[in-house]
Amino acid sequence: MSGHVSARQTAASRKANTQWLRLAAIWLVLLTAPFWIVHLGGYTALGTRVLVLGLAAMAFNLLLGFTGVMSFGHAAFFGLGAYGAGFALKFFTNSTPLAVIAGTLLGGVIGALLGALVVRRRGVYFAMVTIAFGQVFYFIAIRWNSVTGGDDGLRGFSRQPLHLGPWVVDIQRDAGLYYYFVLACFAIAAVLMGIILRSPFGHTLIAIRENERRARFLGIPIELHIWLAFVLSCVFVAMAGALYACLNDFADPTNFNYNMSGTIVIMAVLGGFRSFWGPLLGAAIYVVLQDYLSSMTQNWMWAVGLIFVLVVLFFPRGLLGVFDRAGKSAEEA
Amino acid sequence: MAQELLFNIFNGLIIGAFYVLMALGLSLILNLSGVINFAHGTFLALGGYVAYTVEPYIGFWAALLVAPVVIALFGLVLERFMIRRLYGRDPLYSLLLTFGLAYIFQDFMRSVWGSNGLPFTVPEFLSKPLSYEFFFLTGYRVFMMAVVIIAVGGLFLFLRYTRMGVRIRAGTLDLDTVSVLGVNVRGLRAFNFALGIFLAGLSGVLAGGQLSLQPNMGDGLMMPSFVAIIVGGVGSLPGTLLGGLLIGLATGVVTMFWPAASEAVIYVIMAVVLLMRPRGLMGEEGMMT
Amino acid sequence: MNGTNKPMLEIRNVSKHFGSLVAVNGVSVSVASGELRAVIGPNGAGKTTFFNMISGFFPPTAGDIVFDGEVITALTVTQRVNRGMARTFQITEIFPELTVRENVRIGVEVAGGMRLHMWVSRAETARVNAEIDRILELTRLGSKSERLVGELSHGDQRAAEIAMALALKPRLLLLDEPTAGMGEQETYQVAGLIRRLHRDHGYTVVLIEHDMRVVFNLADQITVLDQGTLLAQGTPAEIAANAAVQAAYLGDSE
Repeated sequence: MSGHVSARQTAASRKANTQWLRLAAIWLVLLTAPFWIVHLGGYTALGTRVLVLGLAAMAFNLLLGFTGVMSFGHAAFFGLGAYGAGFALKFFTNSTPLAVIAGTLLGGVIGALLGALVVRRRGVYFAMVTIAFGQVFYFIAIRWNSVTGGDDGLRGFSRQPLHLGPWVVDIQRDAGLYYYFVLACFAIAAVLMGIILRSPFGHTLIAIRENERRARFLGIPIELHIWLAFVLSCVFVAMAGALYACLNDFADPTNFNYNMSGTIVIMAVLGGFRSFWGPLLGAAIYVVLQDYLSSMTQNWMWAVGLIFVLVVLFFPRGLLGVFDRAGKSAEEA
Repeated sequence: MAQELLFNIFNGLIIGAFYVLMALGLSLILNLSGVINFAHGTFLALGGYVAYTVEPYIGFWAALLVAPVVIALFGLVLERFMIRRLYGRDPLYSLLLTFGLAYIFQDFMRSVWGSNGLPFTVPEFLSKPLSYEFFFLTGYRVFMMAVVIIAVGGLFLFLRYTRMGVRIRAGTLDLDTVSVLGVNVRGLRAFNFALGIFLAGLSGVLAGGQLSLQPNMGDGLMMPSFVAIIVGGVGSLPGTLLGGLLIGLATGVVTMFWPAASEAVIYVIMAVVLLMRPRGLMGEEGMMT
Repeated sequence: MNGTNKPMLEIRNVSKHFGSLVAVNGVSVSVASGELRAVIGPNGAGKTTFFNMISGFFPPTAGDIVFDGEVITALTVTQRVNRGMARTFQITEIFPELTVRENVRIGVEVAGGMRLHMWVSRAETARVNAEIDRILELTRLGSKSERLVGELSHGDQRAAEIAMALALKPRLLLLDEPTAGMGEQETYQVAGLIRRLHRDHGYTVVLIEHDMRVVFNLADQITVLDQGTLLAQGTPAEIAANAAVQAAYLGDSE
């Protein structure tokens, strides 16, 4: 009996070791990106964009990959985060972190309200209603010219240097420094998401994904837990949107529409939506590809469409899904 | 004042008619196969372009019939080779697939026909107004309404009285039982899909006569179609019909009083329905959840 | 057990109508604490509908359900689970792509009031693991704890499902055809588990069963349903001798 227990412990610790190694590798790559990205023909802001969209995709994946709920309107909250941060910087504050928090809160609160409207439904219905949400905000952003800047988007603000005591961190002018600022935010978000997914609450989400009826008969109030997952997801997506607005010094109304939602979804699916880091990988591939293609031709959307089609038909579990065994993914974080 | 009201109501009905035509096609495909066809708007545009291409050879009336059929056949091919593989899977996949197809089709249309609007000529006599007092009743608009009414009426008659139609309706409720009864489910789904696409193609031909042809001309109808389905109740075709007419009319009437809000009104209606009766006006409890 | 006369579960004149179809008609049953009650009857007798009402899947059209003295007729599934009612299904409802340990863990965490906790302390994790080990030991699944439940044998899957139910610290176990579709060996395994839980650990069990050997081996009392009504109720000996029961079954096997 004891021999068996220690064998299990060794296997578990070996698994833990590989997980630590993988985590370390990922963070190493992220930490050093501004240095090697230029050598690969890229530029720092590209890396920042990967982080931001990766965060959005990972946040979305809280719902899709871990709870099994498909929302197709996440762009709504991405956009809310962007506009929230933009408004904050334009009218209320000089502090970039505060602006990010403002955008995050806006997306989170509205997500909580709208989420309550839809959690009783699931599947196709849920997807369709969330699509409509995104479009509503898109429409508001475009029409409410005076406040939101309409078609042109919200402009006239820019991220401000950070004043940390005696030091001034010029994230405004230095792309590298902004990258690290975003990385810090990303790190906070990723760590929080990771902790949540490994917690008992996270386990209930996975249970809901795996077998909703059994989860209900275990005493898990399904609608409440889905709503909570939805809110958390919106909070982190909004954070990504806020960081995006600060990256571009511009809040784009197209951030709201279903093209953006589709982009977030495909990044998660492309990278592997049953794994924690998959969406980040998907975002990296997508952003780089899009950057490359759009520099060559005006008509590059078909290539994006082709990615959608190929992933769906041939790589439904995404790139990381090719390597992962089914049950293992539940613990990858 | 009365004339202006009539004008707007008529406008609303025309808009509603388009919404209905598009939404019914979407609804058919959604109900039987659980597929959210994001490419529906591009099928509309393709329908318009195909009509434009064949019209010089076979004339307007033939194009009206031929183009939707061609598009439906194309849809059939797509169903057979791509969409069919996804039926057993999460609805996510078919949504993503059609989403991607929409991108591909749009760029394809852009490269073949260009981004600029192409004019689609309709027979001369249709363009004239039918009366001076009701100047907005151009022959073409009345014609469009007539075609939509015929198409929608035909659809409902088909679903009610033909064998295939009954099977489709039964399949929407319980596909397993239908298949156990010996019906060829694959063929049924394929036909149903093609039928939905046919309606999209038809919308495209009609729209082409009214607006100029552009690759993204279907985009503006996608969201209202979704809203029509949600408002009417997911899973209910009569509901979709009602929903489409309702939001079309609402759009027309609101335009009269507050033009800027006319686009928003469909979302307001959707929000009200979601709050007061989430299953939609004619939807059933438990459909599509 | 508690020695009083208060029953653990009382079904009072319960009926269920589906439109014009009467699935259950005026059935009254009383299950004592610590008892193992088998519910049997020919196909279509309404047994699963009966169970569905007890567990809260849908409400009865008429009648009341009383659990340990409390009227629970209007409560939801989740509320009943929280009050100590755990259920297994005819077609095993488990999390097939998770390990046995992970399957049981969720039940333990929910029962421990941790379902909304987004953070756990080391002490809590240790407690949870200890509880999981205890349940795995009870259901003899210890050696398979790291295997995916979906890959286990039918009998082991059922044991895992029962383990999940046990994790909820139930006062009442509702088992819907626990040996459905099983061969000799697996039936023996599952029946043995149920017997242990009942005899050695005092669980109150209500089970639907078709396998008469299991029923007569395990049950303290048997309730017979036929076409939605209560046909007979009594000890195994009484039921075996009951002519009406025999007629119902013989008639069904034609």
